[in-house]
Amino acid sequence: MSGPFAIDCRGLVKTFAGGSVRALDGVSLSIRENEFFTLLGPSGCGKTTLLRLIAGFEQQDAGEIDLHGERLDHLPPYKRPVNTVFQSYAVFPHLTVAENVAFGLEMKRLPRADIAARVMAMLTLVKLDGLGSRRPTQLSGGQQQRVALARALATAPKVLLLDEPLSALDLKLRTDMQIELKRLQSEVGITFVFVTHDQHEALTMSDRIAVMNHGRVLQIGTPEDVYERPTSRFVADFIGETNLLAAEPAGPGLFRLAGGDILQAEPAAASAIAVTLGIRPERAELCASAEGILRGRVEHISYMGTDTTYHLRLTDSGLFRVRTQNRDGALVRVRLGDAVGVRFPPAAVRLLDE
Amino acid sequence: MKPALRRAVLLGPATLWIGLFLVLPLTLMAYVSTLERGPSGGVLWDRHSADAYLQFLFERDLMDRLVLNTDYLHIFARSILLAGVTTLLTLAVGFPTALWMAFQSERLRLVLVFVVTVPFWTNILVRNYAWMLILRTGGTLDWLLTALHLPGPPLEILYTPWATGIGLTYSFLPYMILPIFVSLEKIDRRLIEAAYDLGADRWRVLARVILPLTAPGLAGGAILVFIPGLGAFISPELLGGAKSMMIGGLIQQQFGQSRNWPFGAALAFVLLAMVLLALWAHALRYRRERADE
Amino acid sequence: MRADALWRFPGARSVALAAVAFLYLPIVVLVLLSFSDGDSLAEWSGVSLRWYREVFDNADMQRAIRNSLVVACTATLLATVAATMAALVLARGQFRGKRAMEALLGLPLVVPEIVGGIAILMFFVLVGIRLGIVSIVLAHTVFVTPFAYLPIRARLDGLNPAFAEAAADLYAGPVRAFLRVTLPLIWPGIAAGAMLAFIGSLGDVVVSYFVSGPGATTLPVYIFSMVRMGVTPMVNAVSSLLLFISLALLTVSYLLGRRYASN
Repeated sequence: MSGPFAIDCRGLVKTFAGGSVRALDGVSLSIRENEFFTLLGPSGCGKTTLLRLIAGFEQQDAGEIDLHGERLDHLPPYKRPVNTVFQSYAVFPHLTVAENVAFGLEMKRLPRADIAARVMAMLTLVKLDGLGSRRPTQLSGGQQQRVALARALATAPKVLLLDEPLSALDLKLRTDMQIELKRLQSEVGITFVFVTHDQHEALTMSDRIAVMNHGRVLQIGTPEDVYERPTSRFVADFIGETNLLAAEPAGPGLFRLAGGDILQAEPAAASAIAVTLGIRPERAELCASAEGILRGRVEHISYMGTDTTYHLRLTDSGLFRVRTQNRDGALVRVRLGDAVGVRFPPAAVRLLDE
Repeated sequence: MKPALRRAVLLGPATLWIGLFLVLPLTLMAYVSTLERGPSGGVLWDRHSADAYLQFLFERDLMDRLVLNTDYLHIFARSILLAGVTTLLTLAVGFPTALWMAFQSERLRLVLVFVVTVPFWTNILVRNYAWMLILRTGGTLDWLLTALHLPGPPLEILYTPWATGIGLTYSFLPYMILPIFVSLEKIDRRLIEAAYDLGADRWRVLARVILPLTAPGLAGGAILVFIPGLGAFISPELLGGAKSMMIGGLIQQQFGQSRNWPFGAALAFVLLAMVLLALWAHALRYRRERADE
Repeated sequence: MRADALWRFPGARSVALAAVAFLYLPIVVLVLLSFSDGDSLAEWSGVSLRWYREVFDNADMQRAIRNSLVVACTATLLATVAATMAALVLARGQFRGKRAMEALLGLPLVVPEIVGGIAILMFFVLVGIRLGIVSIVLAHTVFVTPFAYLPIRARLDGLNPAFAEAAADLYAGPVRAFLRVTLPLIWPGIAAGAMLAFIGSLGDVVVSYFVSGPGATTLPVYIFSMVRMGVTPMVNAVSSLLLFISLALLTVSYLLGRRYASN
């Protein structure tokens, strides 16, 4: 797909500590208009740095950033039509809630009456009506979060940047805010760029996800893409659980595991000498030993309510996890130490880059 | 504005001010110490001489020969001794005081810090003058001893090194208490609980856990007391009398009745060198401790 | 052993209480004697405000008080502005020479007052600055700058950098971001720093002693010469006055600090 992109990054490089730390190592990505776009990765992967480059708090060493087709790079943050929701909220403690929301509007020198009306509208949008004269210190964490959102949205920015905004909230509140954020995004029709290290958050909220590690983007795609069709070992392992098996090619679509077992995979193999295969635990099922593609013994069983994970020690001494949903009791009654087989369709086997 | 320019503009006033009115004068002082004194005070700007430093140890007799003179050495020794004793005394009083303060409720701790800080910020002249009232013959202390029918009065403490010692200890006690208190307050309470849990008694907890963890505060306090003690001027001037002069008084004398700028500058330079040396040793130790962590 | 006894060390309490008594005894004695009626310095004879009246009737004393206030106000203003500007830079980011700058700002605390005093005296004599109010202000500003700097720096260090970023993010240029966000947030630090600078300048004897000239002395220098020449109980009264001023300022700064500590 070609433009119009809300944000277009090309070859971004950013180093810290005099060049010894490469926070971003050549990042290129395009974010579409009105998209809920998530940057996902472990801490230190560069996702927050990328966000801060877009906001203008840091300057890149190399590369370009466009906003709606226009260069953004050399504008200071106060001239960029993008706003940020900070991880620590950064709600000004010396101002009231309403004064916080009005801040950006005042800086843009809007007429007083317009500001008052806009502040009211924003407080309603984030469900904080009537709290305008409160001090931030009198608010709960969730409420401060809403003030930060209202403040950032008040000036109708072209893009809203959210830096792990939910990480300080407890689980229940976080789930509520996830739904709330999606509602807000569709209501205001603004491009959201969301940074998180939480895969569930990324999967539930995003239109598209960019998975990052060591300052590079490894894969960009819809939640389904990155979960069902990971292209690299890191992505497969970071998002959800994956059984990783070392193998070597043994003919078209066939791979030989270390123990000698032959697996079938789709699509047809590349010509690599050694490869990693990934199989999601929930795509495999237990069966009688003789019927299995792989065989092993049950070493540990974790019962987790909705489902159960069986940890198997394969005959070639590798580990393999199988997850089954607990519907009407398990179909297979398996105990610790039982010899079992594992089977899965060829489509469940993913070929992964290192 | 470029960051470098912004930095220069914002740092400019403070840097210029301190540079112009402290660093430059100190440099000038070092220079003056190498000059010859003028015949009626001041200095001869074009005549260099090591007289100022020689004068520290020697004097010229009637025959213009250099003879050893230990008067000034005595004053330096007395200064170091008094500053050292002051440091030990404030340590002996300051550590138990800080120890008690550190384990009070948070509310009380805040009040206690304030209570200890008030004398710290109270005029040093006023505080030493008050001791003159107490220690003088017929002063508060004599009056108290008489009222209690105790033997002693009239005590003749004022204008002795003892009075200087009392004045210095009094002046610098808060400098000792506060850094120790800060160190003690930072100690994780669970470490002390763990020590008790592992069978240490109170004194071994103190010696093996609390004291080692308070070392930076103790060292900091010692530096904060010893350094100003060495250069003290007010306490010896008001309480010590002529026979217990310290370095500060000697320096002042060179700018007062002696009119010997080069010697005064040399003395001040030696004092400054001693102070910087003590600070440097402290910094070196502190850095090593930090590297060990 | 009771649980709270774990935190008690025998003797510490007695020493602490004795230390506090030791710290306050001379102050109490001085203040009490300042209200004494008699001509004797250290003996009590009836309550009166006689010596306070004498202080306020004495023209020299009044001039000294006025000088002290002028010097303290000017030096505080200059030092606080310079210290705030420097702290804004030094609290953020790394750059070459940062440590040297910090050391320079701490230098006035390290140099013994007597050394600083005579060095500045020689400098003023050499460059021909007449000794008087101006020379005292110049010297005081140097010596109280660290007093102003340290609380401001501490406040800035404790400030979440996201506040300034949020201001910039919301279209506030550097000047407006400072005035509308940073300044209000570090205000308690600036107030505390100014207060300490003021107390430091008002109380200074040693540096002032060297750089003050005939006809323009500060109150502490005046008291110092009175104490050395020959004391009258007026010294008790004026010393107590100095004490009250410092105490009032300290209390204000303490209460300010407590009010903002909860934020």
